[in-house]
Parts: sequence; C-alpha cells; structure tokens
Amino acid sequence: MVTDGRRGPTRRALLAAALAVAGGARPAAAATPRIAAIDWAMAETAMALGQPPVAIAELVSFRLSAPQPPAPGTVDLGLRGTPNLEALSLTAPDVILSSEYYSFVEPQLRRIAPVFSRNLYTPGEAPFPGLMDLIPDLAAVLGSGAGEQVRRDVGVAFAALAVRVAGVADRDCLLMEMGDARHIRVFGDDSLFDGALRAMGLRNAWSARTRFAFAAPVPLERLADFPQARFVVIGDVPPQAERALRTGALWNSLPPVRAGRIHRLPEINGFGGIPSALRFGRDLADALESAA
Amino acid sequence: MTRLLLPLAAGLAAVLWLAAALAVLPPGAWPARPWRAETMEVPQILLAYGLMPRGVVALLAGALLGLAGGLMQAVLRNPLADPTTLGTASGAQLAVVAATILAPGWLVAGSLPVALAGAGAATALVMALGARRDFAPVTVTIAGMLVGLMASAIATALTLSQGHYLLSLVMWNGGALTQQDWTGVWRLGAVLLPGLVLAALLARPLMVMSLGSGAARGLGLRLVPLRFGVLVLAVFLSAMVSAEVGLVGFVGLAAPAIVQGLGARTLRRRLMLAAVAGAVVLSLADGVLLALAALGGPDLPTGALTGLIGGPLLIWLLPRMRSRVPTTAEEGDRHAPRAPHPGRILWGLAALTVALALLTLIGGRGPEGWGFIAPALRETFLPLRATAILAAASAGALLAGSGAILQRLTANPMAAPEVLGVTGGASLGYAATVFLIEAPGTPALAFGTAAGGALALAALSVHALRRDMAPARILLAGLAIGAFAGAVLTAIMASGDRRSWVILGWLAGSAGRVTPEGALALAALALGLLGALLAAARWLEILPLGTEVSRALGLRLSRIRPGLVLLAGLATGVATMLVGPVSFVGLMAPHLARSLGLVRAAPFVIASWLIGALLMVIAAFGARTAGYPYDLPLGLFATLIGTPWLFVLLLKRSRS
Repeated sequence: MVTDGRRGPTRRALLAAALAVAGGARPAAAATPRIAAIDWAMAETAMALGQPPVAIAELVSFRLSAPQPPAPGTVDLGLRGTPNLEALSLTAPDVILSSEYYSFVEPQLRRIAPVFSRNLYTPGEAPFPGLMDLIPDLAAVLGSGAGEQVRRDVGVAFAALAVRVAGVADRDCLLMEMGDARHIRVFGDDSLFDGALRAMGLRNAWSARTRFAFAAPVPLERLADFPQARFVVIGDVPPQAERALRTGALWNSLPPVRAGRIHRLPEINGFGGIPSALRFGRDLADALESAA
Repeated sequence: MTRLLLPLAAGLAAVLWLAAALAVLPPGAWPARPWRAETMEVPQILLAYGLMPRGVVALLAGALLGLAGGLMQAVLRNPLADPTTLGTASGAQLAVVAATILAPGWLVAGSLPVALAGAGAATALVMALGARRDFAPVTVTIAGMLVGLMASAIATALTLSQGHYLLSLVMWNGGALTQQDWTGVWRLGAVLLPGLVLAALLARPLMVMSLGSGAARGLGLRLVPLRFGVLVLAVFLSAMVSAEVGLVGFVGLAAPAIVQGLGARTLRRRLMLAAVAGAVVLSLADGVLLALAALGGPDLPTGALTGLIGGPLLIWLLPRMRSRVPTTAEEGDRHAPRAPHPGRILWGLAALTVALALLTLIGGRGPEGWGFIAPALRETFLPLRATAILAAASAGALLAGSGAILQRLTANPMAAPEVLGVTGGASLGYAATVFLIEAPGTPALAFGTAAGGALALAALSVHALRRDMAPARILLAGLAIGAFAGAVLTAIMASGDRRSWVILGWLAGSAGRVTPEGALALAALALGLLGALLAAARWLEILPLGTEVSRALGLRLSRIRPGLVLLAGLATGVATMLVGPVSFVGLMAPHLARSLGLVRAAPFVIASWLIGALLMVIAAFGARTAGYPYDLPLGLFATLIGTPWLFVLLLKRSRS
C-alpha cells in the first residue's frame, strides 16, 4: 500500500553539507530537491522561486490565503504546530523549511531531513527586509539560480505598483481586520503589510507600537483618532459584525466611513512571505483604483 | 461598616466612569438631547454611543448575573452556585464558539438562542448529576466546574482548528463590555425588568421551600416545578448576558456573598440586593479597566478581570458554608460489589493494554487508507509511533495514579488532578515561559510547567493542608486555583499576541512533540509512581475510613496526607506537560477501576494505573488517525471518548 519513498542519499548528503555552511552560499546539486514546508512564508517563497514544495503543512487553510495555488498533488502535513511526522517521512523530503515559530518541533523534523529555518517574524522588527533576503538565501539552499532575478522582479513589481497608487499617496492607510462589531486588529509597522505599503510609497497611519504584526484587539473607538486616513479592511468580516456595523452609530460616524474612504481586500496571509506582500500590494492598488 | 460597602463601591465606580468620560470630552461639550448621530462630533459620539451605553450595560449585566446567582443559590441552597460554577456560562461559550465556526448563519439574528441552548444543556447535565446526591453543594459545584472545564476545552480545540474568526471569539470569551450604540442596553434592560418581577414573585415560595421538603409539601407547594422554574429563569438571565457581552465570570457568586454580610431579612430583599450588588461589582471592575485604558494602559476585556476574583472568593466562602450544610450528603458512592478474582482482572487489563499498544504501533492510517505498516517503512515509523504511544500511555498512567490517590485521600469520587488545580498552575507556568523566553526549547518549557504546577501545589498546601484538610476544602481550593489560572489565560488570549497561539495549541495537548528521551523519562516516572502507590497501599486502604479511624490505627496523618498530595501533584504536573491541562483520565480511570469491583487499595490503584494507560493508548490512536494527516489534540480526544461514559456512570443510581 505505501511505497518506499527513500531515494538519493547522496543528494541529501549534499544538501546537508550546503546547509551546514550557514545558509549555504554554495550552489547545490543540479537535481531539484524535494521540499517539505512547515512554515507558509517559506512555502510561498519556494513557490516563487519555481520550486513548489511537495508537501505543505495545513494545506487546507493555505489554499484559502495563498498568493498562488499549490501544485496539484501536494501532500498535506497536518497542523503547523504539530506536523504529522509519518506523513512527512512518507514524502521523503530532501529539505524541510521551517521558522523559529516552530522551533519546538525542530528536533523531530531534523531526524527526518535537514531543516532550513529562519527568524522571520520578530516582535517590534519590520519583517519585510528579512523576507526579501530570504529569496536569494533560500534559492542558494535549494540550488536554484533564480534568487537574485526573482528578488529584482519583486522590486520592479513594487515600483510599478507605486506608480499606480502615486495619485492617492497623499493619505495614510489604516490596515485592519474586523473581529466583531466593536473590536478590530490593526497592522502596525512590524507587519508584512506595512512593508508592502512602504515599498509602494504609501504610509501606514498606525504608528503605535504593535505587539506582533497584529496590534492587540483595539476597541472600535480608537479609529476616531484617524479622521484623515483611508480604511483598508483585510479579510472577511464575520456576518454578525457586518450586520451590526451597518447600523452602528459610532462606525458610521467615522469620517473615513462617511466619506466612503473604505476599501476591502480578500483574505491574505498576514504572516506570509514576499509573494503575500505582493498580492496585498496588487489587491490594494486594484481597490484604490476602482474607488477613484 | 458593611452597610457602607455597597454605596462606597458604587460611588467609586461612578467616579472612575466619570474620569474616563472627562478624558474624552469636557462637560461643556457633552452632547445635548435629543442626539442626532449625523450632526455630532466624533468625541460626542464616543461619549453618547460608546461610554454611556457601556456604563449602563455594566450595571444591567451585573444586575442580571447577581440575580441569576442569587436565584441559583436560593433554589439549590448552595452558597457556591452561580452561572460560572454550575457550568452555565461555559455551556453558552461552547455553543457560541461552535456556532461561530461551524454555522455562522445561526448567529446573524443574534447569539441568544444559541447561547441559551448551550447554557441550558450544560446546566441540565450538572443538575442531573447533582440530583443523584440531593444537590449537595460541593458535589454540585465540582460537577459544574468539571462540565465547565470540558466545555471550555472543546471550545479551545474548536478555536484552535480555525483561526479565521479568532478575534471575535477571543473578545467574546473575555467578556468585553465595549459598546457602539444602545441596542445592548435595550436588550438587557428588556430582560432585567421582568426578571426582577419574576424573582420577587418566586421569593416567597422559595423561602417556604427552604424550610425543608416535608414542610413545603405540607404547605401545598409543588417542589419540582418550582425548582425547575427558578433554574430556567436563572439560566435564561445568565445566557442573556453571555449572548450580549460574552463570558463574565463569578459576578453571580460575589453579589449574593456581599449581600449575605448586609443582613437582609427576607429572601425577596436578598435577591433584589444581589442584583444591586452585582451591578456595583461589574461597574467597579469595568470602571477600573476604563480608567486604566484612559491612562494609556491595555484594553483588557472586563470578564478577564472578574474571573480573577473568582478563585480567592471561593476560598474565602468555603469556611463560611460548613455550618449550614449537612456533611452526610457529600459522602461518596457505596462501593460496587467486590470482584471475586481481582488478580484475573488485573492480568486481563495488563494484557489488553499491551495488546492494544502493539496493535496501534503497527496499524494505522496513511495516505492510502487504513492498514499495517509496510516492511520498508518500519525503520522510520516504528520509533515515531513507539515514542508517541509510550509517552501517551505513561501520561495516562501518571494522571490515573494521582487520581486514584486523590479519590482515596478525600473519599470523594469526583476528586481528580484537574480538580486539584495543579493542571491550572502548570498552564500558567507554561504560559509564563512562552512569554518570558523567546522561542523556548523543551527543557525550558518543562521547567516552567513543573514550576507552575509546584507553585499551585504550594498555594493549595497553605490553604487546605493547614487546617484539618477536609476533602471538600481541598477540592474547592484546587478548583479555585484552576479558575484563577483560567482567568489569567483568558486575559493573555485577549491581549491578541501571536504567542497566545502557542499556548492555545498546548492547551489542547499533543503527543507528536515528545522526543524519545522525553517518552522514556515519562515511562520511568510512571513506573516510579506505581511503585510508590503499592508502597502506600496500606495507607490508601485506611484513609477513606475517616480521620478518627486512621488516627486510631496509628497513621501519622500530618505527614502522610501532604506526602500523598505532593506525589499526586508532581505526577499530574509531569503528565500535564504532554497532554495539556484537561484530559479527565485522572477522573475516569479510578471510576472504571471501582466499577470493575476492585475495592481493596492495591488492586484499585494498579487497575487505575493500567486503565489510565489503556485509555491514553486508545486516545493517542484516535488522535493520530481520526483526522489524518491532522494530529488532533490528545487531551481533547481522551476527554471526548471518556467523559460521556463517565457521566452515564455518575448518573446511574448506585445500587446499595
């Protein structure tokens, strides 16, 4: 019933050697390695490099917010916090992509294949530069020559987006997610989306320190401090909140809501990689253009 | 002095609210009636549609909870009853969380029907359990808090499975009073007024009922409809609050306790005063948080603050209730008939455990479906599975062993490690480690969790062991610690930090994270516990017979009891690291052992130990395969397979 998926110990050894030299500046073997991804930002970045993982954790939810759909036949590895080690072994990966967030399962992962892990999201630090650097670094680990090219393409894409939104860059954007009719989450300067905003030449209205990409749940009334901003609502709004917002006196009295300066974006992974940032940028540019 | 307490607190709450209001707008700029939202400035709207309704909602919700608590305490004659301790609030929580995730459409028209159904179901379950013991206060409270723990555990696992609506769930779980218009005020007010009238009408028959069932029947009172009606009213009032603002714990416990000190003569007066006291308590708590937020502090949900008062309150109430409650009602079941050959049962259990462990080791589920391991994969799979199975079985044995100790020690069939508060303390230790150390490893987490468990144990010892360690006292003190830990965890969740996900994941428990060394260490500890249990078999035989008998037989209780509590606490703390704080294996396994007819101490503890391991092996298999490739939470699975059965067992009237 289950086949023996073991193959190529030499390639695995090569990869281990590449990983051993701290992130691996050395190009690996010519054959493309089999990749298993626990962290989604890593999975997205590998996909952008043209090397989609054969297995991704929490594939069901990943599909809902991924910037590009995973390849058909991709294996689901179960929860990111507790990946299924048996399913992982069956995919016989040459390298496992993880992040510091899953460091507690790393010992178990390491028994199966070499692990490439990075600190991607640290409280109080902008994740965007690190995620940009991840592109060439990961390319080196995966033996892909595309790293610098993909990175340049990203820069070009953001520059193009900046041109598209230049006409509306005068107003700051307030990026939020709706919880219920009385509470929101705000994306601050240590969030992925803040980095995308900057890359597009826009400004984030929220300058208060956030705890980790999401601010703590913020009462709706705090929005009154931003009468001049644009409201950008990311993701779906729960149905009961939607209903309460339509009639809510406070929400409907906020100047941006009164003036119709409110833009809705689909679900995007707030802890994703540069591809998620780029998708956010495109969606935001579309939303701003259609409103203009 | 006590008479001034309520007015003083009310005045303080008003001052705090006013301070928050003045921070928004100076009095001159306050909006004049009639308000028209379209023409008002934003700060005016914040005041008229934010702070003002919030202040009123705090009063109304507090009054509703106080009244509900007063009614529950009157009808059950139980000073520890309130919507939190009877599981009512947790039932509503589970229903709303489940609906939010599985059927959000049900909530479009408002959460009340869903919350009411959940609250009613949980309360009915607790009442069904309590009825078997004449609604003995401590037993009912423990049953209620267990049902509450279970409901919260399932709600946690559901929350974990979908982060999509997490923010709204977190706020709701925390009990946030924030308002953005007056609809909440109207809804709560429309329930409070008829609630007060009904309570006033019911007060007199309730007073008669308190004379005793015989006297009440003599006076022509129909007890069952009366009890049922009062409980339905109380559950409805509490569900209304849950639906509107979320979980606000322990106000219903605090309000009648405050009124008790005021010396009100009639029950009607006490009920009305309980409503007033509840309003004052919740307003004060909300005022403190408002003032804190106005000073630039964090915006915490109010329910998280009231949850903190619950634990200390329970401990404070405990010594005051003793005189009023007949202790005979609290005693445990008559034992089941003795098994003629306990040895055979034990060997059978051991063989079954080993057989199942081996079966689940080689059998399982893969991408191709169910089946046995392919020979080529043995090398990779067997170590992985053996580690998880060994760890799970050891944790089960540890929990069951400590459950057996506690049940013997307290002579109470509801005693369990979950009830001891050790799991609660261990959760706090884990949470503290996650927040204090960046990306902590297993050793750091293990140390933090064990330290938390040990601290809880120390707190328990200070309070419960100092006096003669009445069984009821130690159980409720433990539950109080658990409630406190739960409130702190809720506050952490409500802070919206990403690290709260790590804690949430652990709360549900998983065997996938254990290393081989960890599993071996757990197994060694489990064997050590078995040895200790056998060595202590004589004590465990004598202790349930009571303090006097034990002393007469020469047991040095002052040493033996703390020693056994320490043993149970440490075993629980270690197992908790693996399976998370809720599993109920420690409660179930000894029950099963007793129902097999194992009455003598030595067979009883061995059987409990084995059944704990057996249950956990089954749970681990289910958790690994049911949702392949998604590893389900181990503790949750153990809870789900065991608890319904446990409730059936408790519901069965003991044949004596």
